[in-house]
Amino acid sequence: MSNKELREKAKNIANEHGYLQYMIERYLALWGEHETMQFLEACERPIPTAIRINTLRAEQDIVISRLNKKGVTTEKIPWLDHGFYADFEGHSTPGAFLEHMLGYYYVQGVPSMTTVKILNPQPGETVFDLAAAPGGKTTHIAQHMKNEGMVVAIEQDRKRLASLESNILRCNATNTIVMRGDAKKIGELNIQPDRILLDAPCSGEGLLPIDPSRKTSKTIADVRYCATREDEMLDAAVSALAPGGTLVYSTCSIAPEENEYVVDTILRRHPEMTVSPISINFGSPGYPEPYGVSLHESLRLARRFLPHLHNTEGFFICKLTKEEDT
Amino acid sequence: MKPELLDSVEWESVVQSIDGELGNGITRALLGDRTPIVITDGDLRNVYLIPISWSSIIIDAPPEGFEYHLVGKQLGVMTRDRFRLSLQVLPDLVKLTTRVLVVSQKAAEAFTYGRSILKESVVWIAEDLKRGQRVLVLNEDNECLGIAALSIDSEKLERLSGDKLVGKNLVDIGWFIRRLG
Repeated sequence: MSNKELREKAKNIANEHGYLQYMIERYLALWGEHETMQFLEACERPIPTAIRINTLRAEQDIVISRLNKKGVTTEKIPWLDHGFYADFEGHSTPGAFLEHMLGYYYVQGVPSMTTVKILNPQPGETVFDLAAAPGGKTTHIAQHMKNEGMVVAIEQDRKRLASLESNILRCNATNTIVMRGDAKKIGELNIQPDRILLDAPCSGEGLLPIDPSRKTSKTIADVRYCATREDEMLDAAVSALAPGGTLVYSTCSIAPEENEYVVDTILRRHPEMTVSPISINFGSPGYPEPYGVSLHESLRLARRFLPHLHNTEGFFICKLTKEEDT
Repeated sequence: MKPELLDSVEWESVVQSIDGELGNGITRALLGDRTPIVITDGDLRNVYLIPISWSSIIIDAPPEGFEYHLVGKQLGVMTRDRFRLSLQVLPDLVKLTTRVLVVSQKAAEAFTYGRSILKESVVWIAEDLKRGQRVLVLNEDNECLGIAALSIDSEKLERLSGDKLVGKNLVDIGWFIRRLG
């Protein structure tokens, strides 16, 4: 398909489905017409609600049994120890259940839970969670660590700190330090964490099934702005990470510009960093050649969640490791 | 906001407040092998319990542009007039104090919406509790829903009619939801 044909087709599809044209052009270039249409259709369907059982507050079997008795049907997510799809249909919102107020579970997207599973924080370690609000991943990290060691949760947005703190208290994460500050300046904290989770603030292009306004709310300039900020945050995280440490970079964007491109730039700038394989079986591989641009081959080891393939919001996850001798 | 070690006078006032309301030795048990610190936020002094090994990290001033907001386990908040326990430690308190009030399932739900407790909702109440006393409010599964102030001595409870107030809601776990809207 010539560029002119692609633009014309994108314009028609964009008009028909209510998207900005630049988005459809990129989808057609990435996936072709058939898969693009599958993607657009999937974005019109609701994403199944998922919860994480918080074992810092309750035993998993007991919580699941209580929810089932209340008419909530649950289904284990195969690769997540404490993750379940939960159908609350016919009930008030999942957050209004007593078990939620007691901190027995956290309503959380499957990709978000998966990032912490990949990070695999261990009891006794020091872990940074950057751009941490509203705290789903922070509390999950504390849960993995059995409240032993230290989680430093950094958030710049003053308003979002309230939800972060509230969720930490509710879920009983007691090994956590919440700091307000700019994640790009974490080097000044003079702490070398064993692991860092950077779920970077992004353009949210993966959230189309949840937020239809995203079809028209962000321009390509917004995506580029986010990519620049993501690069700065990831660079700061790489510099702060202890030698031999693990860094998980994720976004809720499907844009290669915010994902593979950002990681590729970091790999060129920081030869001490490598993309590590993810041993859990989920999602689909990252794109080492998006839009025909050759990036580092190892980006294939990153993973993507896509609405039309995995029935989740769109998401990107990449696991990076820092050399021991740096 | 910078954490500070709590001086012994201030800590003693916290101990008196908690132990006075819920029983001797409760604060010591909550403290465990941690150490108390405080972060001041306007008129509020938030008391946290941190592992002793964190002290050297926490007490140093953070770099410019960073401020501490929450550190370790939140014990409670000192206001001008009193100390208020954190919702985070309520489940710990269930195992430590006998000063409790158990309410029916329906009342438990209403309590988490900020309602107070009427006589008809009381399933069980500890003996020898006095008017004004703080009590943990539990559901029939022994889960702590919050704290109430008794409006009557527990031994006089039977004299009340069903629609009379027994406990005023001071704080409840519905706050987690209400706070976020």
